[in-house]
Amino acid sequence: MIRILIAEPSYILRKGLIQLINELPDTSEIEVVGSHLGLIEVLNHFSPDLVILNTSIAVAIPMEEIKIHLPDTSKIIHLINTPLPPDSTSQQISIYDSKLVLQEKLSHYIKPEQVHDDEENSEELTSREKLILKHVALGQTNKEIASSLFISTHTVISHRKNITRKLDIKSVSGLTVYAILNGIIKMEDIS
Amino acid sequence: MRISAQMKMADLVHINFELLSVLQRLMIPFGFKDKSVSTVCNENNVDVDFFLALTQWFLNRDEFPQQELMNYPPEWLIGYLQHTHKCYINYQIPRLEKEIEQLDQLLNAPDHSAQVMIHFFKEYISEFSEHIEEEERVAFPYILGVEKVVSNKITYKEFVEEYKDYSIGKYLENHTDLEEKIFDLQNILLKYVPPPTNNCHFTNLLIEIYRLGKDLKDHTLLEENVLIPKVKEMEITLAKLAGKQ
Repeated sequence: MIRILIAEPSYILRKGLIQLINELPDTSEIEVVGSHLGLIEVLNHFSPDLVILNTSIAVAIPMEEIKIHLPDTSKIIHLINTPLPPDSTSQQISIYDSKLVLQEKLSHYIKPEQVHDDEENSEELTSREKLILKHVALGQTNKEIASSLFISTHTVISHRKNITRKLDIKSVSGLTVYAILNGIIKMEDIS
Repeated sequence: MRISAQMKMADLVHINFELLSVLQRLMIPFGFKDKSVSTVCNENNVDVDFFLALTQWFLNRDEFPQQELMNYPPEWLIGYLQHTHKCYINYQIPRLEKEIEQLDQLLNAPDHSAQVMIHFFKEYISEFSEHIEEEERVAFPYILGVEKVVSNKITYKEFVEEYKDYSIGKYLENHTDLEEKIFDLQNILLKYVPPPTNNCHFTNLLIEIYRLGKDLKDHTLLEENVLIPKVKEMEITLAKLAGKQ
């Protein structure tokens, strides 16, 4: 599921964008903000994969500040209130773009999720990830895990990201519950 | 649909019963007879436009009336949030807690699954209560204090004595955490817990938890998009006052 934040002051445009996104073949979670007020707070807790940002909102907040509060992998599409040249990139959309152009540009970012039930692509944790999860569930910090497994903190973080993505569980206590339910650690291990 | 102050209050609830919680949170008692929305609001000292703004948002989720809500005195929204808190603490949470405690009879699990879930939930509840208490004890009084200085009801000196170095930024920190955990709880119950023996009971529990999660999201939305930007705005005025001292 892709998380999209629409930052657009105009009611009609917000509605239109939501309609357009819902027509694309993917399940998306959409949040909207109507002004720059509260935008940073929403970015922090929603952590969108994609932000559709009207330039009129972008002028009120420096771009660097927006980027600080976004996950590294997030993309931004700038929505512009004037026409764009025909060869414009997919990072920009104009309110004058045709439906076809908009769909084409948006579909670069919003791709249908592939659901595989077969083993290879399953969301099962790898044995390495299970090991990391075990340490996380026992309450160790990234740094501690890194030094006890002789890997870099960076590697630990990227494993943790994958674990969270696969399981849809973010908090340490949630991961601990999962680990116990699946016999990765024992109830007695945590006190 | 667009609702109006001339509609009957009872009809409004018929349209969407979720509005019952708005009424409760604004301390509007039932027994409306055929009174209109504006009459009921006036009788209970609730501003009609404020009521309509909240109601409209409940009916039409993708339009959040940020600007509109920011124009009202923060104490109205704080009152609304406080009554939401009360309902959680006195009613919803204890009830959910009881249901969760029955999990070990519900789950078809030989191991400790139920206890693990109960433990997780209890931990969650204590964090949740702590957050609410902190809001009631520090954040809300601070916001009301800022409002009083800005509208000249108390002097800047009086304000500083009371709230030395607090600022609203401090309070935002543990918000995300609470939401994250309730979604974790939903996912664990839905995806990873062994199938329950009493499906009806278990499903109900899950529905209640989803509802709590949704409520929490609304709560955060009101705080992050209305209350906090409003306070930040007022803090700018406050900084100017501080400059003059």
